[in-house]
Amino acid sequence: MGAVRRERLHALTWATWALAALVCVQLAPNPLYVVIVVAISFLIVEVHGGRSPLARAFPYLVLLSLGFVVVKVVINGLTVHADGAGLFVLPSFTVPSWLGGYPVGGPVETAVVLRAATEGFVVVGVVAAFAAFNAVVSHYELVQMAPRAFHEPGLVVVVALAFVPSVVGAALAVREADRARTGGVVVRRGRLVRLAVPVLERGMEKALALAESMDARGFGRASAGSAERVAAWCGVAALGALAAAFLALLGQARTVGFALGGVAAVLLASAIVAASRASTRTRYRPRRPRTADWLVIAACLAAPALLAYLRATTPALLLWDLSPPLRAPAFAPLAAVAFALLLAPVAVPVSGPDPWSVPAVPARPGPEPEPEPEPEPEAVR
Amino acid sequence: MTDLVYEAARFSYPESDAAALDCVDLRIGAGELVLVAGGSGTGKSTLLRAACGLVPHASGGRFGGDVRVGCRSTRDVMPRDLAGTVGFVHQDPEAAFVVDRVENDIAFVLENLGLDAASMRRRVEEVLDALDIAALRNRAPSSLSGGERQRCAIAAALSAGPAVLVLDEPTSQLDPQGAEDVLAALSRLNHDLGTTVLLAEHRLDRAAPLADRALVMESGSIAADGEPGAVLAGYAGAPAVTRLGQLLGWTPPPLTVKAARAHVAAADPLALATPAPVPHQHGDVAIAARRLGARAGQTVVLDDVDLEVREGEVVALLGRNGSGKTTLLRTLAGLAGPSHGKVERHARTAYVPQDPDLIFSAPTVRAELEATLRLLGRRDADAVDSWLARLGLTSAAQRHPRSLSGGERQRAGVAAVAVGGAPVLLLDEPTRGMDAPSRDALAACIGDHSASGGSVVLATHDVELAARVAHTAVVIGGGDVVANGTARDVLSGSLFAPQVLRVLPPFLTVDEVAGAVTTAEAGT
Repeated sequence: MGAVRRERLHALTWATWALAALVCVQLAPNPLYVVIVVAISFLIVEVHGGRSPLARAFPYLVLLSLGFVVVKVVINGLTVHADGAGLFVLPSFTVPSWLGGYPVGGPVETAVVLRAATEGFVVVGVVAAFAAFNAVVSHYELVQMAPRAFHEPGLVVVVALAFVPSVVGAALAVREADRARTGGVVVRRGRLVRLAVPVLERGMEKALALAESMDARGFGRASAGSAERVAAWCGVAALGALAAAFLALLGQARTVGFALGGVAAVLLASAIVAASRASTRTRYRPRRPRTADWLVIAACLAAPALLAYLRATTPALLLWDLSPPLRAPAFAPLAAVAFALLLAPVAVPVSGPDPWSVPAVPARPGPEPEPEPEPEPEAVR
Repeated sequence: MTDLVYEAARFSYPESDAAALDCVDLRIGAGELVLVAGGSGTGKSTLLRAACGLVPHASGGRFGGDVRVGCRSTRDVMPRDLAGTVGFVHQDPEAAFVVDRVENDIAFVLENLGLDAASMRRRVEEVLDALDIAALRNRAPSSLSGGERQRCAIAAALSAGPAVLVLDEPTSQLDPQGAEDVLAALSRLNHDLGTTVLLAEHRLDRAAPLADRALVMESGSIAADGEPGAVLAGYAGAPAVTRLGQLLGWTPPPLTVKAARAHVAAADPLALATPAPVPHQHGDVAIAARRLGARAGQTVVLDDVDLEVREGEVVALLGRNGSGKTTLLRTLAGLAGPSHGKVERHARTAYVPQDPDLIFSAPTVRAELEATLRLLGRRDADAVDSWLARLGLTSAAQRHPRSLSGGERQRAGVAAVAVGGAPVLLLDEPTRGMDAPSRDALAACIGDHSASGGSVVLATHDVELAARVAHTAVVIGGGDVVANGTARDVLSGSLFAPQVLRVLPPFLTVDEVAGAVTTAEAGT
């Protein structure tokens, strides 16, 4: 039953989707459209995320970014004054000159609050798209797609990401153990230390155990020496060229600067190629994007293209003009169609069991009482 | 053939003068299944890690002598370059996964070794079958049960086709069913593929009958080496039947209940007085559950559980994994709310979680106990000393809790919670990963606590411990109480029977038989 592989979209598809969503949010930073992006992200996580820990974290990440919006609106409302129409007036004071000496409070203006909220919402859209991407993508596949030179650092990031949910679990367990220790009495003094130390120490022990396990499983085996040296020298030369290009640009020698920059790019590329050649790693069952993947990728690329066209021709449809008199944000059906293209992954059917969910029925129904194991050597030999 | 050879291997960890390995000479032939026994901190883990080069390359420290696998010496070869020759499986299966999909995790070592696609594919399929985990190939490791997870970790070590497989207490974190599956899989690998297996264990009941050869380690050197029966007979952590055989002078000492029964059938009938039922004068009800129900999300975990625990009573909760033992303890402790029914608490409770590491935040064991007292607003150094002494931790009082061995950690966890002076102690699986001396110390401490009028409720898979300390045994299954009665009655009638009871009913423990033998000898 568990042997049926869950058909999931390729990491390349998800990377394209995330990139398209990010570009779309930047092209149309209008709260109405941002709401659409957040809703699409939510749907994507619902359909493709399953019970993976990062999918479960999705709502919390979005809430966190909303909290950021609130903070941004409050700070901007209190400190930014542009002599526009005021919402209400607060008592005002001036912070001491050594802190900047600007006024805090006073009239809170509609345009300032709305601008701050709009800018904040763009961040919510970006966070939602990024969180949805992390909830649905296979990070390991993503790493396998990258040039081999990036495999080891990429894998380290993947392993670190996998630690996050286990840290959350450990933190909850530690909190409960702390309560149990006193028979239910919660003592607040010094609680942070009592909660943080076990989680950190445990994380450290786990990390060491994982390092041993990866070492014993051949991670980071010595690779062909000469190719790696070539890669290293190419990398050093590239950095040198970049530094020289920077100096040239400072000195207004633009032609020389750009030429050196080009040389640096070529050197960097050859360093990556050489390092990838040096790696003797192979890849187990790499997946190729299927037709569905290509269709979704095409749809996802069409969305920012359409928005870019709109932005170039009629920017008023995408942006929200906050100059008085205040109007409702614009909403163009054509832009909505562009955003709807980002929904393409939802149209791909999901089949197969969720790898993260524990089957409800135990795989092997045991006898009623668990037998005290009695080894029968005849049975195994 | 690839032999594993230790030649005068010496090792001490950095910042420690004590030798973790003290001039070990050992030759393990290809295809042997060798069991390494010994208390905590006697060098079992070091011996195992030296076989795959993690000692000294990953640990640091001073290394002398030589360890060779085939013709390669671990002095010259890094662990990662030995990956195709020696596979290593960690005690904690959770800490061993790199990729969030079982199949890819198994292929991880093959990718590192640079195998071509076709061989990788074939190896992975073979290993999936060898460990019977083909159905789990698409699952995320974190969604698996402990036993499944450990088998996947073994598969991940095995896929490179190592000649030697090294396992450091692979079953100590598992329930009996999971442990059984893992050991059966190891035995199958050893028989079918001829893989040499080097296995360290504390609980020998299941592992000893599978081994071709056993080693007992003591303070860094090998104290005994040979046939498992003969070697383990004199060892404190030996299976109960083996110790029984030693007591009654059976040769060769049996390793299984079956072999022990054969001895009983062959020997003269023993004229032993049946153990008199010890009358237990228990006090008032200390804590009780009345028609208690509990849920986890949508699932009903407990349904109408009735349970009374009296002062001075030790209650063992038995039942398969997921039967609701832990939930019952947590509800009794007030950490989880009941969905219906109620818990009557007439005394303060203290709950020791399965994993005692969760509470260690102080720099020393003593400070850990003092911290609990401080949290409760009390200050009596006597309690600290007496609990340290009760659990045999006096010599470890000044050590960092995380530098302790597994069994010592469990005991320190119990001490840190119990020092608060709560009359009702709730212990969740307290003997997980414990060596024999730690189990003895814990059993003695439970006895003390009950003798001084305290109550203990312990959820455990360890029937030998239940047989030793419990007055009452309660079997939980399907969310409610299946059996509730005196330990002897409940354990006798079920598959939960401890080994001694199966061989010499109605005796429960080796100590009881020893007592009866002494009385019989005194009588004649």
